[in-house]
Amino acid sequence: QAIDDDCNQTGQLLAAMLDWPQGTFASRVQLESGAVLVEREVDGGLETLRLRLPAVLTADLRLNEPRYATLPNIMKAKKKPLEVIPAAELGVPTGAPRLKVLQVQEPPPRAGGEKVESVESLVGKLRQAGRI
Amino acid sequence: STGLTEDQKEFQKVALDFAAKEMAPYMAEWDEKEIFPVETMRKAAQLGFGGIYVKPDVGGSGLSRLDTSIIFEALATGCTSTTAYMSIHNMCVWMIDTFGNEEQRRRFCPSLCSMEKFASYCLTEPGSGSDAASLLTSAQRKGDTYVLNGSKAFISGGGDTDVYVVMCRTGGPGPKGISCLVLEKGMPGLSFGKKEKKVGWNSQPTRAVIFEDCAVPVGNRLGAEGQGFSIAMQGLNGGRINIASCSLGAAHASVLLAQEHLTVRKQFGEPLANNQYLQFRLAEMATRLLAARLMVRNAARALQEGREDAAVLCSMAKLFATDECFGICNQALQMHGGYGYLKDYAVQQFVRDIRVHQILEGTNEVMRMIVARNLLQG
Repeated sequence: QAIDDDCNQTGQLLAAMLDWPQGTFASRVQLESGAVLVEREVDGGLETLRLRLPAVLTADLRLNEPRYATLPNIMKAKKKPLEVIPAAELGVPTGAPRLKVLQVQEPPPRAGGEKVESVESLVGKLRQAGRI
Repeated sequence: STGLTEDQKEFQKVALDFAAKEMAPYMAEWDEKEIFPVETMRKAAQLGFGGIYVKPDVGGSGLSRLDTSIIFEALATGCTSTTAYMSIHNMCVWMIDTFGNEEQRRRFCPSLCSMEKFASYCLTEPGSGSDAASLLTSAQRKGDTYVLNGSKAFISGGGDTDVYVVMCRTGGPGPKGISCLVLEKGMPGLSFGKKEKKVGWNSQPTRAVIFEDCAVPVGNRLGAEGQGFSIAMQGLNGGRINIASCSLGAAHASVLLAQEHLTVRKQFGEPLANNQYLQFRLAEMATRLLAARLMVRNAARALQEGREDAAVLCSMAKLFATDECFGICNQALQMHGGYGYLKDYAVQQFVRDIRVHQILEGTNEVMRMIVARNLLQG
């Protein structure tokens, strides 16, 4: 999920364009020879995938702890050159946004439930609804 | 963080982060089990905290005395005792860096800056504390070596550290007869007393250091014969700022703990924080902390600039800050009521750890002597 538009697309788009396997929301990454083991945070819990390399990974918050900055590096940071490259030089079109919002809608309101009088009635209702 | 530059705020942030994550969770355990946290200090050294004001060409971070004070104050919020030891280590590395020749600097400083090796400062003896210049440990010149006989007392890190910066007598009585030698653990004739049992500073071992016909190469002498006392005192100027900074950190942490407790604890139907007496006390604590901090930072700047009155300012700052901060920590303990007396609560450790700051690196009485002498000499 990008921090600007929260679209959750860039990694996936890149993988499709390159035709490479993807492991998104990675919370743990382990390299093996020629492959990578990716543990992903999904809604239902954790999922582990083994992807052939090369692959595209996107990181989740839990992937790493940022390192401490060292004192010498803090002092060097001020002296690092800041190169300004105009967008035109990179051939990236700027101007009108290329995404158009077609529709925004709320999820359907939560429908009311039903109280039943007995366990048999509950089982019957659940069967009817195709839940068991 | 008022009046700090962008860089200094960054240093402070790294140090506070490190203190909160790597030190605070363990300070009670280190105190109780008397653990010398070698691994944690080495991690700190990787960030540049092993030789903060030592020159970069031998592995130091090349920062100013003020930067150093800010860093130690921040680290002390995590564990005051360990930070105090680190400041002693830093002082020793600086002494070698500043007064050593090229060969000595290159031999000792890099491994000390990385904390691959640790250092101890050896001045005090059983018979000479405040009267440091009357020390008796003798170093007799025999050809290419000095043979040392005598003992040092209360040496922080003693027995566990690798490098010992020792003030000893090579000449006649008084300060001018004292030289500074660097010894290493393992030298024949160098041994240690029992580990002392202390009220605080338990994350660093304290032992006597004993010299029995201990032969030290002349090449291990820092500076000239007779320069040792001056080297020791110059080291202490910075050391005093550092110790005072550690007291500031402990007091800062204690004020935060007290503030938290006052808002949470209720008596007589309302939080303690509603009580005007306690509000006023907290305000006084914060005010005195700020005053102490400004004195310490001012002294740090003066020392960095090499001002004539730097040594006096360092003494004043050490006197004022260590006294005030002990009072602040003690008050914070009082505000915790009975809980303040339990080892489950951190405030008592801050009180115990900084009590000794009023005594070492020059007792606060000696600090008064230094200031009075300066005032009355005109």
